[in-house]
Amino acid sequence: MAVVLAGLIHVVAVLTLPVLAPRNAYARLAALGPANTMIQLAALKPGQQVMPNMAPDVRYAMCVFDLSDGPIHLRATIQDELWLIAFYTPIGENFYTVIGADMKREDVELVVTTEDQSVADATGDAPEALENLIVVSSPVSKGIALIRAPLAGPSRSLEAQRALGATYCGRERSSPPAAAIPGPAPLSSGL
Amino acid sequence: MRALGYFIGAFAVALLLGIGSAWYMIERGSILTTTRIGPWTSWLSEGNPNADPYTRAHLARSGRLPLSSTAARYFAASTDSAGSHLSAGCEYMISGGPLNARWWSLAVYESRGSIIANPSNRYSFNSEEAIRRSDGSYEIHLARNARPGNWLPVGKDPDKDLKLMLRVYGPRETDASGIGQIPAESLPKIERTRCE
Repeated sequence: MAVVLAGLIHVVAVLTLPVLAPRNAYARLAALGPANTMIQLAALKPGQQVMPNMAPDVRYAMCVFDLSDGPIHLRATIQDELWLIAFYTPIGENFYTVIGADMKREDVELVVTTEDQSVADATGDAPEALENLIVVSSPVSKGIALIRAPLAGPSRSLEAQRALGATYCGRERSSPPAAAIPGPAPLSSGL
Repeated sequence: MRALGYFIGAFAVALLLGIGSAWYMIERGSILTTTRIGPWTSWLSEGNPNADPYTRAHLARSGRLPLSSTAARYFAASTDSAGSHLSAGCEYMISGGPLNARWWSLAVYESRGSIIANPSNRYSFNSEEAIRRSDGSYEIHLARNARPGNWLPVGKDPDKDLKLMLRVYGPRETDASGIGQIPAESLPKIERTRCE
């Protein structure tokens, strides 16, 4: 009987632990600021890191997204082929990743929608806006977009921080194609 | 009365076994969830939307947000190649073969995952920074005091336990489902060179 009970307790413990873990990555990141805003993480310093085991030689920017009021847009000028834009559910499932090396253009625009929102809601009816647009269909209405800028050399930190500071996450559509270069995005400097 | 005593005893044993085995399989991994190559452990499905419950629990507890195995592979080590705990009181020679990937980085942490303060602000070596031989192989000295070549400092406190994390972004060899494959022989060996 003890063994059967032990098995049951084992299963319950394994299944409830993810729910009970209070300091998972989503909780840590959501505490940093408002949703649907790009927040740049400061370069790692001893004793000041948002998540354990972050890469000291990667610069990060993140956006906690909330799609309950409609799709959100994410714009970035990918500085080099090492960049990665990864999308996560609150329990850390990496459901989509944009790999810098696979991009043909350095300016990328992503629209994140839930499975029941249409892309037209996000882009208006301008078909040219659909070119170069990557549609990310999210299985959850709240989640995380995390941009990683791995440093291609010891002196690239400032450059990467500046490029991450120019990324955008929020409700605004991009401007018409004539002004394809995104305007300066609000830079969140506070961690 | 004896029946009640038996019941309580059985319950206590069950609790210990159940929680203990769950803790072990979540914290340390098992053959179902992790690949072990020498001192290196890799959770194959971490970050994957179809991950098993053990991997999910491990990830939630870790507080990390890893890329799934089609974009990157992570390998963690808290022992040297001989199986002894990595300690800041010892010195190690880490020697790795070429890694076929877009970028890689080897970082050192104290056992709970924080980087370690040191005067040269050096916390890791990556594929662009490490001095490598022409075939791509390299050596990194893990030590408290400065060493020639690639020196990865571990701070002042000799009593600290250490953890190494090797991240390999964009592995060029993949299996049929796109999961990056890192040949066992290209993972670095961790050899203890001296101890206090």
